[in-house]
Order: sequence, then C-alpha cells, then structure tokens
Amino acid sequence: MATATVPTAPLSPAVFAILLSLAEGEKHGYLIMKDALSPQGGGVRLGPGTLYGSIDRMMRDGLVEESGLSDDERRRYYRLTQLGQTALTTELARLDAAVTSARTLGLLPHGGQS
Amino acid sequence: MSFPARSTSRFESFYARALRLYPERFRYSHAESMRQAFRDALRDDSLPQRQLIPLILRDFFTSILKEHLTMLRDTFARPALIFNALILCVLATGLALALYSIPQQVLRQGANDPQIAMADDLVAKLEQGITPSQAVPAAGLDMARSLTPFVIVYDDQGRPLASQAELNGQTPAPPQGVFDYVRQHGEERVSWQPILGATSNRDEKSPLNGGMALQHSHGIRIAAVIQRVQLANGNPGGFVLAGRNMREVEDREQQVRQMAGLTWIGMLSVILLGSAAFGWYTRPRPVLATI
Repeated sequence: MATATVPTAPLSPAVFAILLSLAEGEKHGYLIMKDALSPQGGGVRLGPGTLYGSIDRMMRDGLVEESGLSDDERRRYYRLTQLGQTALTTELARLDAAVTSARTLGLLPHGGQS
Repeated sequence: MSFPARSTSRFESFYARALRLYPERFRYSHAESMRQAFRDALRDDSLPQRQLIPLILRDFFTSILKEHLTMLRDTFARPALIFNALILCVLATGLALALYSIPQQVLRQGANDPQIAMADDLVAKLEQGITPSQAVPAAGLDMARSLTPFVIVYDDQGRPLASQAELNGQTPAPPQGVFDYVRQHGEERVSWQPILGATSNRDEKSPLNGGMALQHSHGIRIAAVIQRVQLANGNPGGFVLAGRNMREVEDREQQVRQMAGLTWIGMLSVILLGSAAFGWYTRPRPVLATI
C-alpha cells in the first residue's frame, strides 16, 4: 500500500538512480540498470536482484508503478508516480544545495550549473 | 562484446534455477523480469563480459539475503503479530506467577498451623501460673535437623527461660524488634533465621545460653509464632515462641517454583511457536495474477 508521504531522509543511491532513470519516461528493468550504471545516472552498479528489490519497495511506497506496457519479450515497464516525482525533485534540490555549498567552500571548481 | 549463444543459454538456465532461492512472493512478482534483465545484459554488446558475471554474482548474494530478511520481517515482525504475542506473554507470566505464589502462600501459611495451637496452649498454661520449666517438657531437639515443632519461653527481656530445642547447644532468640512488636500487638508470625547471640540482650547472661554471643547464621529458617504472656496479676510474663524447621516447606516451595517455571517456559514456547506458525500461514502471499 502506498504511503502518501515523500521520503524525508536522503534517498539510497539505488532508489535515486531508479527515480532519475524513470524521470525520462517509462522504462523496463534492463534500461534502468544501464541508466544507473552510466555516469549521468549516478554510476550505480545495479544487478537484477537489487533493482527489482528496490522497485518492489518503491512500488509499495508509491514512488513508482507498473505502466502496464509490455513488449514482445514480455518486459514490464515502470514509471514515476506523482509522489516519486516529488521525491526526486526534493532529493535533487538537496543535492543541489550541497553542491552549491561545496562550491562556496572552494571544494568544487566554479563554473557550470550545479 | 556479448557472450556466445551457447554460453548465454547456459548462464541463463543457471540463473533461472538460482532465482528459485528467492522468497516466494518476491519470486512470483519479479523472477521473470529479473531473468529478462539478465538475458538483456548477456546480449548487450556494450557491457564488458568480465564485469557482468561478478556484478550478477555479488548482486545475487546480497539481494537474496536482503529479500529473505525482508520476507522474515514481513512474516514474523508484523506489529499486530508482535503485539498479540506480547499480550499473551504478559498473561502467561501473570499466570505462572499466580501458579507459584498461590501454592507458596498456602504452604507458608500452613507451616504455622501446629505452632499456633502449641503457642496458644502454652500461653494458657503459663497464664494459669505453671512455671516455664514445668510447662515445657525437655526434649533436646536440634533445630537444624529436627522437623518436630518445638516451643521456647522467653522472659520479658527476651532471654530464654525454657526450651525444647537447641542450636549448637544454645537457645537462640529472635531479634528484639520482634519482641517489641509482640508487646504491642500480642502476636507475630515470622520466618526466623536463628543467629546465635544476635539478640539485643546477648551481653547478659542467660540461664540457657551462658551469655555466649556468637554471631553465626546456620542457614536454617524457622516458621515461628510468638505470643505475649500476660500473668493474672498484670505483670508481664514474657513470651512464648512456637517454631518448626521450614526445610520441608522450603523443599515443597522449591518444587512449586520449578513447576511454575517449567509451566512458564512451556507457555512461552507455545506462544512463540504459535505466533510463528500464525505469522507463516498469514504471511503476504504472491498475487496469483502475477504468476
């Protein structure tokens, strides 16, 4: 059953990577794994067990849902819910604030968007 | 570079068998998708072979452990299940305490029965003017060994005047506070652990203990009834103590304690096993539509 609250604690790398991947649109498991592994997706090495364990809990928490789409090879597709979208936005804002702070402290080079 | 087709088929077959080790609900929900993701990874030319297998193996062992822990939590650590088990444990503990304390009190109270009658009779004799030495027949009972009830007469200061029982050849006396209580209330019933020479008057010579002031507990306990003697002329006539070694009663109390303890452990075991069985049979089950 979905809990109607946005997770307040920092998201785990796996959950964040899955949310970030699904922000582009509906995807099946292996595409999410590939996105997570890429540097832009967080560089998180997700295997099938970790991926579907995380998706299972995220579905229970109401962050993602099955889209109902299926392809020829019976892959199941997932998409963000409104709550998942909010959780991702909140996490990105938290990370953005942390990066801004790091730049202010001179820990990161200036230039570019945070 | 992808794996050769023959290896791919073998790996996939092995992975499909390994997926059976995941918990039932998780397996029904995701095993097919996991197998498909594994198949996609094997076919993916962009994924280095030497990275894939270690990743899959590490992921398999960590996720299978995590999913089984999740399954155990979902099955056995549900708040309603734990709450019910705790309530039952509290009830079982209360029942076990009652099983111990009620018989224990019955035994303890029953341990005083002959002493009450003996003390009453002896007080009546002394109040009629019979002397302690006439009223108390010499018996020479050993308090530490004999289970026979005995009587002791003390003067108003708590010094022994006549006794049927001894401890190491001496007549012990209860603490002075017991005599003070009996002076005010007429009677006291206590579990007394005699300590030779521990009376407040131990410095004074007594006709029975020779004034010895030994401080030694013998580890015996006496179920004692102490009553006040009031002489007819209004003078205080001292005290009468009727006692009996509680060894046998304590042995029975020990048996009751053991039986109550075993009953308690048995009840807790039944609750634990019953809760575990209930949790297992009411665990979250896979939705048939996802099979």
